[in-house]
Amino acid sequence: MALFAVFQTSFLLALLSLRAYQSEVLVEPLPLTPESLNVSIDSAHQYLNLQWSVHSLAYYQELKMLFQIQISRMKTSNVIWVGNYSTVVKRDPVLHWSWKSELPLECATHFVRMRSRVDDAKIPEPRFWSNWSSWKEADAQKSLGRDPLFLFPKDKLVEEGSNVTICYMSRNQQDNISCYLEGQQIHGEQLDSNVSAFKLNKVSFIRKTGTNIFCKVDQKDVIKGIVLFVSKVLEEPKDFSCETQDFKTLTCTWDPGTDTSLPKRSSQSYTLFESFSGKKILCEHKNSCNWQVDSDSQEMYNFTLVAENALGNRSVSVLFSLTHRVHPKTPYNLFLKNVSGTKATVTWKVHPIGNYSTLLCQLDLLGEGNVIQQHNVSIKENGEYLLSELEPDTEYMARVRCADANHFWKWSGSISQKFITAEAAPSEALDVWRNVKSVSGRPTVTLFWKPLSKLHANGKILSYNVTVENLDRLSGLEVHSVPATANGTELTLDQDSYQIHVTALNSAGPSPASVIVVSGDPGNEEVEEERVNGTEDGFSVSWKPQSGKAIGYVVEWCDHPQDLPCDLQWKNLSSNTTSTVISSGAFRPGVRYNFRIYEISTERMAYLLEKKAGYLKELAPSDNPQVVVSNLTSHSFTLSWKDYSTDSQPGFIQGYYVYLRSKAEKECHPGFKKATLPDKSACCQHRIDNPEQKTFVMENLQPESVYEFLVTPYTSAGSGPLDAFTKVTTPDEYSHILIRIILPMIVCVLLIMITCYLKSQWMKEKCYPDIPDPYKSNVLSLIKSKENPHLTIMNVSDCVPDAIEVIHKPEGSKIQFLGASKSLTETEFTKPAYLYLLPAEKNYSGPGPCICFENLTYNEAAADSGSCGHFPVTPEALPGQPGPLTSPENLLKALEKNYMNSLGETAAGEASLNYVSQLASQMSGDKDSLPANPPEPVLCSEYKMQMAIPLGLASPPPAENSGLSSTTPLDQSEHYR
Amino acid sequence: MLPAAGEPAAGDSWGMLACLCTVLWHLPAVPALNRTGDPGPGPSIQKTYDLTRYLEHQLRSLAGTYLNYLGPPFNEPDFNPPRLGAETLPRATVNLDVWRSLNDKLRLTQNYEAYSHLLCYLRGLNRQAATAELRRSLAHFCTSLQGLLGSIAGVMAALGYPLPQPLPGTEPTWAPGPAHSDFLQKMDDFWLLKELQTWLWRSAKDFNRLKKKMQTPAAAVTLHLEAHGF
Repeated sequence: MALFAVFQTSFLLALLSLRAYQSEVLVEPLPLTPESLNVSIDSAHQYLNLQWSVHSLAYYQELKMLFQIQISRMKTSNVIWVGNYSTVVKRDPVLHWSWKSELPLECATHFVRMRSRVDDAKIPEPRFWSNWSSWKEADAQKSLGRDPLFLFPKDKLVEEGSNVTICYMSRNQQDNISCYLEGQQIHGEQLDSNVSAFKLNKVSFIRKTGTNIFCKVDQKDVIKGIVLFVSKVLEEPKDFSCETQDFKTLTCTWDPGTDTSLPKRSSQSYTLFESFSGKKILCEHKNSCNWQVDSDSQEMYNFTLVAENALGNRSVSVLFSLTHRVHPKTPYNLFLKNVSGTKATVTWKVHPIGNYSTLLCQLDLLGEGNVIQQHNVSIKENGEYLLSELEPDTEYMARVRCADANHFWKWSGSISQKFITAEAAPSEALDVWRNVKSVSGRPTVTLFWKPLSKLHANGKILSYNVTVENLDRLSGLEVHSVPATANGTELTLDQDSYQIHVTALNSAGPSPASVIVVSGDPGNEEVEEERVNGTEDGFSVSWKPQSGKAIGYVVEWCDHPQDLPCDLQWKNLSSNTTSTVISSGAFRPGVRYNFRIYEISTERMAYLLEKKAGYLKELAPSDNPQVVVSNLTSHSFTLSWKDYSTDSQPGFIQGYYVYLRSKAEKECHPGFKKATLPDKSACCQHRIDNPEQKTFVMENLQPESVYEFLVTPYTSAGSGPLDAFTKVTTPDEYSHILIRIILPMIVCVLLIMITCYLKSQWMKEKCYPDIPDPYKSNVLSLIKSKENPHLTIMNVSDCVPDAIEVIHKPEGSKIQFLGASKSLTETEFTKPAYLYLLPAEKNYSGPGPCICFENLTYNEAAADSGSCGHFPVTPEALPGQPGPLTSPENLLKALEKNYMNSLGETAAGEASLNYVSQLASQMSGDKDSLPANPPEPVLCSEYKMQMAIPLGLASPPPAENSGLSSTTPLDQSEHYR
Repeated sequence: MLPAAGEPAAGDSWGMLACLCTVLWHLPAVPALNRTGDPGPGPSIQKTYDLTRYLEHQLRSLAGTYLNYLGPPFNEPDFNPPRLGAETLPRATVNLDVWRSLNDKLRLTQNYEAYSHLLCYLRGLNRQAATAELRRSLAHFCTSLQGLLGSIAGVMAALGYPLPQPLPGTEPTWAPGPAHSDFLQKMDDFWLLKELQTWLWRSAKDFNRLKKKMQTPAAAVTLHLEAHGF
């Protein structure tokens, strides 16, 4: 048993020694445990940089090896990452490897260890892992200061959409820390008692100045912040292409896409790399780059454009042949020469491209913006082309662009030049029409023509020539020149036939003549008018040929028939046409258009063929006729509207409706039918179908009744407005008889009254004179004839009066002058006395107020001159204090003279008269209330008319010579004697 | 033809000319002499006061735009961070008693120095601004602030005070150091605008006080002759 134990022990020892030998043989040349492991921190990029070496690769120059790396955080047991790194190890190598940490390395201590294994085919299996290296610590916190709070990473730049982890670390565990992202509080994961981390997923771009994140210690004035710069994603350049204009420079362009630049951060850059030549240039611009072509030897180019910013790069490539990327420069020196009316030569130049290149140039001819002609011309350097088929006096534009003739890549820029072709004589004859009318018995022809279109005018029309030739008599040609602005002219001719030639002239010559023949005889105008229907397209007019020898037809109408001038229009039609559609933008519904169709004979004379009238669309009449009521009797009246014109209505008048309504009658008269008006009221309607019947007799009416009627025309579109009814009251049945008797009687009475009024004076004299004229008395003739032939009537002068009675006539405020129909209102006449006699000489004191003497009885013929005598009176001798002022002798003389004058026997010696002008008295302003002490001297009271007064009366008689009368002033209320 | 400086006779005349020029140069600084037909410093103080009010108004809109450009929390109304990296900025806040005890010269000198520094910082801010619109607004404000500085200098000259000379090497710069993080930079910008606003408030008070002071002692004019160079 002991032997067995010894044997077993020795066997095991032998086995162990063998095993040790074997392992020594196999492993000894490969002591592969990583040595000198060193860990450093790259805070800016959050990298843990590992550096180590592998020794004693004695038998091998190089060996592929696999390294397994473990990374722990906070403590070695907390392994957060395990990974393999395979590389080829050379003799005495120093190996490097980096690990990027999501968590900012400052926030936690990291530990790293590794082991290795041969992973090379030269070494047979089995292969074993080496031992782990010792843990190496990476601690960034040591280098931090004594601040109470830290926030990491500092001012990091990330691409939009990436994930970012932020952490803070506080020195004091007791501190309560809150963090904010863009003002919003965020909550993270606590890694340690002092460390917390926040994971931001898919961060987005907010602003160029970055996203602000800050943490602060509550209750303390401690704040720490970072700015997270989020860059836009760098895009791959789009539309990358290169081209050359001269085989010397290649210009590459692209669309850079979104700008990823941020303030204080380098912007994205672009690098152009050509793989065949191996050259590389940094582009100055973000969207283009110029590449110098060194020689002609390189035909193919393979460009790679690399866009790069701090976070990455994007690239795009293009492979091309240089000759296929020719973009010629814009042609230059484009000129037009030898420009005629229809032709022009275009010349231009191009920049040469290499020695053998040919350019294909495209020449466009544009008119009014549209390409009219297009020509392709192959040229080397100078281009020339003859443009033809041009229109005279037209503006064109020549435009040239070129491209490589062999390998089309792109058109060059265009060069263009405007030009105007020369004028040519008008190519077409004018479209002429005429209107013949008779002015003062002479036919007057108004010629109209349509201006030539630009196409036919071939230039600016300077004038029109109108040549008139008499066809009936041999006479010279009459030439009229009409200015270019006119579209017609008027000619006054006689009854002969005339041939008129009209031509248009421009600077190049006249147009072909337009010939028209007119005659003084207007021909047959009595053509019955027909109706024509209008449609949306216009009026469809047709006619029947008459002579069969027509060379054409003309349809004539007015665009604005209600205006003056009516804008005459015409349309020429060929001889084989018998219908046409007349359309015009001026046609309006409700307007009557008259069409006249003329046949043009071989002699070019126009004969009226047909007349048509129509409406584009008939409308209902807008107005009702003015109706006159006549023959009004107690049972009937007549309505007439003869002034109503049926031609100027908005439709063909087909007839009239006569409406009648009456409160007295409920039933309609025969011929009427019941109708309802728009206001729901009932009435009776009578229809007149003949538009020319413009009278209507209303019969069978009730006397002394009120009737209302309305006459309204109707067209196919309806009737006129049913609004204004007219009232008629039928008279009494006997009223007409009464009128026949009473009216003449009234007239007779009136005539008598007027006669009496006009002859009232005569009547008065004859029948009831105020003071009978003794000379005219019948008694006188009776006495004369029978008794004493010498017997005369006693004259006043024969008597010596001893007193004059003045009759007080208070009612005589209105004096009627004899011989004059008008009356004068004189305030003085309202006073009770007319005559004041001069008192005894004691009171007279020179000139005083004069007095108006009015003898109404004797002064018959003195109506024109009046019979007012002027007598000086004392101031006291006023109407209020009457008294005798003048001598009876003078007075009698005056009376006598007046009387004689009235008989028309005025003596020659008395022709000298004193005219007393009509003066306004100082007292005239207060006629009714005379002052007690009137101002002196007192003038004549009032004269209403200019009177002739004999001189003898004008001068006052001396008072002392007249001792004829002497009266005592009496009381005003008494009569004077 | 100017005489050569080395000639003795010419040297005398040059000296006299220089003397005359110096006297003429300082004439505007003699308030007593300026009073003939000159309303004195009153109007220019008033103008300076008006300018501070105008700038205050202008800054309100500029600060709003710029703080929005910086982003939250800088544009939040209640954000009041500690004055970390802005120690170099001239402080506008001062004890009330100290402020009252300032004499006119010191008061004006402090204003002048503060705006000189603030203007320099503001120009640095302008250079960093990312948008053209913001650069335009800042440049406009800088021009206005330059005007205020000139106006203060005018008042000082009218009162006969010398302008403070900047010490060599103390020119304020706005180049952030390598350790100056972007967040701290934003804090500095924030404080610059805040200090600027406080300074404008203070200046308005300063010039209002000065204005009132100048109005009252109209009769008591002291001859204050600063004769530099003599």
